[in-house]
Amino acid sequence: MVLFAGMVGFGAMGKTNGFDVWFTSFTTFFMFALPGQVVLLEMAITGSSVLAIALAVTLTSTRFVTMTVTLFPQFHQKDRNRNLYASVHLLAMTAWAISMKEFHSIEVKHRLSYFVGLGLLCWLISIPGTILGFYLAGMVPSAVTLGLVFINPLFFLLTFTEVKPWINRIAILMGSIFGPIFFIVDRDTSLLTAGVIGGTLAYVIDRKFLRKRAGVIG
Amino acid sequence: MNVIHNMADALSGWGLWIALVGACLGTYFCRAIGVLLSNSINQDSEIFRWLSAVTYAMVAALTIRLIVMPLGLMSTVPLWIRILICALSIGVMVSKPTKRLVPALLTGTLLMVGYGVIR
Repeated sequence: MVLFAGMVGFGAMGKTNGFDVWFTSFTTFFMFALPGQVVLLEMAITGSSVLAIALAVTLTSTRFVTMTVTLFPQFHQKDRNRNLYASVHLLAMTAWAISMKEFHSIEVKHRLSYFVGLGLLCWLISIPGTILGFYLAGMVPSAVTLGLVFINPLFFLLTFTEVKPWINRIAILMGSIFGPIFFIVDRDTSLLTAGVIGGTLAYVIDRKFLRKRAGVIG
Repeated sequence: MNVIHNMADALSGWGLWIALVGACLGTYFCRAIGVLLSNSINQDSEIFRWLSAVTYAMVAALTIRLIVMPLGLMSTVPLWIRILICALSIGVMVSKPTKRLVPALLTGTLLMVGYGVIR
């Protein structure tokens, strides 16, 4: 539901920024990672180099590494083979969060089927969602388009309130401060520099100060 | 609209598609690495703590930029309106500890549509 809204918003964003429907929906089909897609679109608009775009998008996708590592060991041993390299494409925030919550109540041997069904559903509704958003943005009054384009930044902002570990909260704060600063300095590389510097700073603060105190690691 | 179209032209044609392919490969690469490592790696290790901090900082930088310094249509909305709507949505979100994402998202989106109607 939220994912669908996000994809509709992304389609609208593609349309209002002058991309064609193929490009916009291809990103959903092959990337299926909303933050990465938004980064791709934003950096393409501001005219960043191809290498900077690919690197920044890859960095936003590193969360999939942690998500996979936490989720996949819960599958049955016999299901953990090469086919997982195909099903991992279906992994996204929504399917991950639901699976993590439900897996303990599902028998081990059924977990893979559950995950693939859920992931496939999310993926398949995302594509019409993107296309719908794209064409809606061209047809509806600009007030509605405004709302659609606003969905994604608002969605990211809201999910930040659910982040629990302090290291990641500090990282969000650092990114919020450094993001606009680096954007003024050099817009092409601003996401990369803000992410690496802000994230590293948060990591150092966490390591030097927070970990010594109990109860703040989260 | 012409100005907006020109912005997309900044990186157009082949460059844009190469960027897309690079982004797709990078994204899939991360997923595949996850599968590969899911047998061996500890998610509490230092490198993962650092990587997730970098990721959060980057997504935060993007989010704040999209709200504070947007491009295109959103830049026609005054900054204080954008911030006010965000603040109200966060208010809805944190008013109850769980399951407020959809109402909060609706609040913000409808307020933005409402602003678009009355301006």
